Amino acid sequence: MLIELLQVVLNGLLSGAQLAVPAIGFTTIYAVLRFPNFAVASHMTVGAYAGVLVNTQLGWPAGLALVAAFLVAGTVGVASDTLVLRRLRPSGPLTAAIGAAALGIVLENIVRFCFANDPRGFDLPVLRDWRVSLGALGQLRIGPQQTEAAAASLIAMAILFAFLAFTRSGRMMRAVADNPTLAALKGIDAQMVARRANFVGMGLAGFGGMLIGLDTSVDPLTGYRVVLPVFAAAVVGGLGSIPGAVAGAFVVGIGEEFSTIVLDPSYRTAVGFAAILLVLTLRPRGLLGERAL
Amino acid sequence: MTPSIPRRAALLGGLAVPFLANATHAQAETIRIGTLTPQTGAGGAYGPPMVKAMRAVVDEVNAAGGVLGRKIELISEDDETNPDAGVRAARKLIDVNRVVAVLGTWASAVTTAVAPLCWENKVMLFTVSGGDGITRLPHQGYIIRTQPDSNLQSDRAVAFMLGQGARKVAYLSAQTPFAVSIYERHLQDLKAGGGQAVGNVIYDASKTSFRSEVDQVLKLQPDSLFLNSYQPDLLVLLRDLFRAGYDGRRYTLGYAANDKLIAALPAEVTEGLVSYAPSPDLDSPAFKQVQTVIGANPDPYSCQTFDHISMTLLAIAKAGTASGPAIHDAVRAIGNPAGTPVTSVTEGLKLLAAGKEINYSGASGPCKFTPIGDITGCKFRFDVVQKGQSKLLQLS
Amino acid sequence: MTSYLAAMAVFAGLYALMALGLNLIWGLAGMVNLGLVGFYAIGAYTTALLCVRFGWSPVAGIATAAVVSGATGSVVAVITARLKGDYLAIVTLGFAEVVRLVASNEIWLTNGTSGISGVPGLPRAWFSPEQVNLLYAGIVWVAVGLVALLLGRLSAAPFGRVLRAIREDEMVAAVAGKRVLRFKVQTFVVGAAVLGLAGGLYAHYVGYVAPDAFQPLITIYVVLALTAGGTGTMRGAILGAVLVVALTEGTRFLGAALPDLPPVRIAALREGVIGVALILVLSFRPQGLLPETIKPERA
Repeated sequence: MLIELLQVVLNGLLSGAQLAVPAIGFTTIYAVLRFPNFAVASHMTVGAYAGVLVNTQLGWPAGLALVAAFLVAGTVGVASDTLVLRRLRPSGPLTAAIGAAALGIVLENIVRFCFANDPRGFDLPVLRDWRVSLGALGQLRIGPQQTEAAAASLIAMAILFAFLAFTRSGRMMRAVADNPTLAALKGIDAQMVARRANFVGMGLAGFGGMLIGLDTSVDPLTGYRVVLPVFAAAVVGGLGSIPGAVAGAFVVGIGEEFSTIVLDPSYRTAVGFAAILLVLTLRPRGLLGERAL
Repeated sequence: MTPSIPRRAALLGGLAVPFLANATHAQAETIRIGTLTPQTGAGGAYGPPMVKAMRAVVDEVNAAGGVLGRKIELISEDDETNPDAGVRAARKLIDVNRVVAVLGTWASAVTTAVAPLCWENKVMLFTVSGGDGITRLPHQGYIIRTQPDSNLQSDRAVAFMLGQGARKVAYLSAQTPFAVSIYERHLQDLKAGGGQAVGNVIYDASKTSFRSEVDQVLKLQPDSLFLNSYQPDLLVLLRDLFRAGYDGRRYTLGYAANDKLIAALPAEVTEGLVSYAPSPDLDSPAFKQVQTVIGANPDPYSCQTFDHISMTLLAIAKAGTASGPAIHDAVRAIGNPAGTPVTSVTEGLKLLAAGKEINYSGASGPCKFTPIGDITGCKFRFDVVQKGQSKLLQLS
Repeated sequence: MTSYLAAMAVFAGLYALMALGLNLIWGLAGMVNLGLVGFYAIGAYTTALLCVRFGWSPVAGIATAAVVSGATGSVVAVITARLKGDYLAIVTLGFAEVVRLVASNEIWLTNGTSGISGVPGLPRAWFSPEQVNLLYAGIVWVAVGLVALLLGRLSAAPFGRVLRAIREDEMVAAVAGKRVLRFKVQTFVVGAAVLGLAGGLYAHYVGYVAPDAFQPLITIYVVLALTAGGTGTMRGAILGAVLVVALTEGTRFLGAALPDLPPVRIAALREGVIGVALILVLSFRPQGLLPETIKPERA
């Protein structure tokens, strides 16, 4: 029984690492621009397509394809913000959020128009899991590729933390997140910061989208399928808090896997939401509170 | 009624009028047939080839002069894999386009939702849905279903599995209307054949990993697995089973293990996967025709919709009028065992025009139906994936 | 054609009812309820179960649907009372998904993904299909009119003013001595009851309920309808709903103009056009087509 629990926790950690990257992207945009950008799902899909195309058509390895996923989704994020969402933001966060939902529908269908609905797989082998013996307890199963994906997530997070802590752009983003009025007084160009936040946020969404595509397949609904757990992760952690999004992703990931032993596996999504409700009842602004970018 | 009605009507009418003007003009000459398939939403992977197969038949028949001297017009709508949108799309097909038949509904929920519209308006409905409740609706003969019901397909599948030595079978099933009914029939059939069904893990198909579900089912130590899935979730399941080191037998449905799935996965992951689908005789010309349109291994749904349109056109020709009730009355008469065997529509149309009886058998099977519209007497093909290629194992 | 327009009028009316319910909860009281399709589903299932399993009359079924949905609304409101804005939005989004999961998995109660068919509608023996649609459109739009009237009264009454005060600044409202939680729960109950009523009317119109009919897309469309029409006003909610149905269904006629495109591309184009049109409305009329005008208090 203990080994099963350990296995479930491990499975949850690996799923959580996958959710964490797009959740960070979502929360970064929230921190700087103060609205939930529901178009994150379609940007995940865009990133996944960018990754699978450079991998299968140009033969790029997975690592490089992840960079392509980041860059393409980030660029699309900046473009869609400049063309659409920037005009809506002055009308309030909810108008912007609703506009983002509509934008998501448009992007999903641009992808569908270009690539149809057929699933696309990466040109990569699927590896057998490692089996780690824990003596009398039994064996644990660890997926080499999931571990790699989790490592890629951690690297992306580390780069983001370094960017926010040590670069001028990063510090400006944090300044705007902390207090936009003060940042404006100090002469920080809000438009520029918004563009960078979108590039980083949607880039991370695309990166996370490709990680999910690696594990499943890439089709126009790749991002949509996981977007609820991604929102959940960001909310559990506290909207606008990057460490919160990471913590939230693990709570949701482990919670969902746990539910498979307690309840029918078909209730996984419901358990994720029960977890949110529980956390938010105790801490209405999430585990780590808001805007700790 | 409230004052806002004229405004609403004006809005709707305003959008529709420019297109309708053409539509009503053309209606006098063409026979209008609707397709209602998933082009978006969870079933989006299946709809496009289904329509492609039907379009090919219509093009061929139109090139040969149409039916009863009239051209065929195929109007394709998207049901968004959603019964709510499906009802609105069906209303448009029936009320605006005045189609005589609606072909190809896929999701059981969509089929059940649009079925009453069809029978009330005397429009024929051809479906590929698997839900067993569909043919038990009070449809007065207006539903024809080319997907075999749970019992028929389960009996054949279990016989085959037992023949391959399966004794202890575990199940992974997406939450569908037939997740439970297929399992229960298997349970019974396996027991009768000296095997056993050891458990059914029902999962949420929209999830992106099934590691814990796979652990759960492998704990039962089965010698074979039956994967009651659709294509998107089967992709994920096969990966997770491979990673978990499971190398036992895997059985699944033909529509889940289609060409697109085999192409999207590395060969070692799909190696040895057995799938089954209703099938015509080997070397069926109708099946070959679908192959030229769709590809070497057409999915079962495309074969079935190929038959939907073929049966519709032949029934219209047989009845001599293009209407829902005419198709309703004639759809079984085109499979007259005493008639000339026919596998292509153009050939059938010629014979019917000459006043001959025909016996149509199509790309998905012999196309014979029970009084409630379920398919009977069809064969099943069992295919195995070897080195990334699908190979026929058995046809029975 | 008459049948078709009448049927679309029914759907527009159902969306209008949902938009009205949402308008009360969100437009007036400022609570972002993205779980509306969950309440809609609860209403539809309530009456479907009562009428099919226990032979209730549709009128009693629909009334009970509104009550059950409203009661669920009170539970959700109490549980989420402390949550603000975007947190509430995502939790309620999750609530709707949980409702759909329960409907899919509790087969003993809901018949699972097969759904419940044979929900009684208007007696088919008495009317032609065209009459059925026209009559039902009448019923739904009478319901829309009554609900709009009722909610309009409520919004003009002191109750409505308190709600606006809560929306603008909860703290100030509390300091002014208003029992904020009670007002919020009451609003949620009334709004959820309207959503449940819409669900009940849907079940008897289509005659069939299934989990797949209650996808999050409906929530997105209704929220878009309300935003496009103008949050805070009843007329805006109704106009927005009509606009959304006209868009989603009017675009189906695009296909006829593009016969050479494969259907998947037509479908993608159609949904893309719907999205672009809604973005344009939001961009050019950010306060909606019929924005709320708050009359200055007379001194």
